[in-house]
Amino acid sequence: AAVTKLDTFRGCAVRDFSFVAQKPGCRGLRVATEACWGRCQTWEKLVPEPPYIQRHHQVCTYSRARYLTARLAACPPHVSPLYPYPLALQCACSLCSPRDTECETF
Amino acid sequence: YDGLGPGCHLFPFNVTIRSDRRGTCRGTHLVHACVGYCESSAFPSRYSVLVASNFTHNITSASRCCTISKDTKVKVRLDCPRGRHHDDIEILTAQACRCDMCRKSRY
Repeated sequence: AAVTKLDTFRGCAVRDFSFVAQKPGCRGLRVATEACWGRCQTWEKLVPEPPYIQRHHQVCTYSRARYLTARLAACPPHVSPLYPYPLALQCACSLCSPRDTECETF
Repeated sequence: YDGLGPGCHLFPFNVTIRSDRRGTCRGTHLVHACVGYCESSAFPSRYSVLVASNFTHNITSASRCCTISKDTKVKVRLDCPRGRHHDDIEILTAQACRCDMCRKSRY
């Protein structure tokens, strides 16, 4: 089998990801899904004319996803037990879109 | 950029400065950009993020991008035709790079 060394990997790939789906009052549920991880090429350079800095900042994120729904147990009557989450079908380096994504640094 | 490994590195390139639009006097200088491969990941958002975004931000991207952390001025000497003189022009170049916050791209 092909082996990819993570410490030198460049690019953007689908990876296994598990998290605990939690809603107030419900029992937490561990969910296994697929997410994205990688290293995208990014750069910045200073230029003499406005806007004085040019940059190309892309992030490794979902390019194709399917939405699934987990059902949490023991929710109070007024809390829906449904918890929607994405499963990555394909990941790619692209701009972080604040339309559907929480763009954070770490 | 093919030789660059993970991380954010100084990358040399030539910049040409012109005294006017016709390029009467001009000079070229080697300066640096920051280029590299910083880590980023995307995963299902926590419930607090879902609520805060009115269930529109289903995905959270936690990312770093290659940025200029320190810059410095360099003087570019301009060459003019027929022995005319033009003062040196100062421009900025990257001096150090770091994987840091991604910003909106601008060209």
